[in-house]
Amino acid sequence: MNATYSEDDTLSALLDGELSDQSARLAILRLTGDREQQVRFSEYCVIGDLLRGHRHDIPDLTGKVMAALELEPTVLAPVRKPATRRPLLWLAAAATAAITWGLWSTAPRQESGVPLASLQASFHAPSDVTPYLAAHQDYAQAVIAAQDMHFTRVSLSGEAQ
Amino acid sequence: MSDREIDLQLVERVREGDKRAFGLLVEKYRRKVIRLLSRMVRDPDDLEDIAQETFIKAYRALPKFRGDAAFYTWLYRIAVNTAKNHLVARGKAMRTVSEYAVNDDDEPDERLVAQDINTPESELLSKQVAIAVNEAVDALPEELRQAITLREMEGMSYEEIAEYMSCPIGTVRSRIFRAREAIASKLLPILGTADNKRW
Repeated sequence: MNATYSEDDTLSALLDGELSDQSARLAILRLTGDREQQVRFSEYCVIGDLLRGHRHDIPDLTGKVMAALELEPTVLAPVRKPATRRPLLWLAAAATAAITWGLWSTAPRQESGVPLASLQASFHAPSDVTPYLAAHQDYAQAVIAAQDMHFTRVSLSGEAQ
Repeated sequence: MSDREIDLQLVERVREGDKRAFGLLVEKYRRKVIRLLSRMVRDPDDLEDIAQETFIKAYRALPKFRGDAAFYTWLYRIAVNTAKNHLVARGKAMRTVSEYAVNDDDEPDERLVAQDINTPESELLSKQVAIAVNEAVDALPEELRQAITLREMEGMSYEEIAEYMSCPIGTVRSRIFRAREAIASKLLPILGTADNKRW
C-alpha cells in the first residue's frame, strides 16, 4: 500500500459521487493518468460489488477487453464544425434570399388579381400611338411597381405629351 | 458530481482518445454486467464471450452515446441485445427470466440465477475474494464497518450517513475511505493487482 496515497481519500469520495464538480474533474484527470490509482479504483469497485452481493466474475475480463481494444481504432467524438463557419452560412442564405427576391420582383406579374390581358383589352389607344405601344409593350409588361405603373398609365393616356 | 456525471466524464475521456478511461468503466460495471448476463446465459464460455463482446460493442458505439440515459442503462441494453443475438446465432435458448426492465437500479434476485455460471477456477477465486472481503469487514472497528455498510449496501449518501451516525460529513468520508483501505489491504495478496493488470 502506498503511504502517500493511503492518506488521500479523494478517490474514495469520487467513487461515491461526493466530490464537487471541480474536484471531481481533477480527480478523474489524475485517475486516468495514474496506474496506481487505477488499481485502487479497481479494488474499491470489487469491494463494493462483493458487499452488494455481486459475486460472479470472469477473471481478468477487463484485461481481455482492453487487449481486444488495442486492435480497435481509437474512438473519437465527431468534430463539431467551428463556429466561424456559421456567419458564412448565414451570408450565403442572405445572398440567396436577395437574389430570389430580385428575380421575383422583376418578373412580369399581374396586379391585384386582375388579368393583365383584360386591362390591355380595356384600353382603346389612339391609332397614332399604336406603333409606339407595339414597340414598347415588352417594357410596359415588365413594370410592376406602383410608381412605374403610374408612368405607364400616363403614357397611355397621352398626358405626358 | 454525481455518479452519472462521473461516468459521462470518463466517456468524454475515451472520446478524447484515452482508452484507459474505458478500462475504468469496464472495471466499474463488469460484475454488474456479468450478473445480468448470468440470468440469460447458461454456458460459462458463452457468458465470457458475450461479456467481452458487450464491452467491445459499447466502445465502438461510444460516439453515439449522448448521455440522455445513464451509462449503465445504455450498457444494459447493449448487453441484453448482444446476448440475444449471440444465442440466436448459435441456436441456443436463453434463460427465461421475466424481468428485463431497464433501469439504473437493476438488482436481480439472486434466486433467479438457477445455476452457477462460474468455471471451477473462477469459482475458487470468487470464493476466496468474497471470504477475504467478509473477514476484512468483520475485522473492522464498528464505526468503519457501519459507515462502509451503509454506503455500499444501503446506498446512503455521506450526508445521510452523517445524520444516521451523528457525526460530521468529513468524518463519514474518512471512515469510508479507511474501511476501503483496510479491506483492500486484505485483497491485495489474492488479487495480486498492480503488476498483472494489462490495461
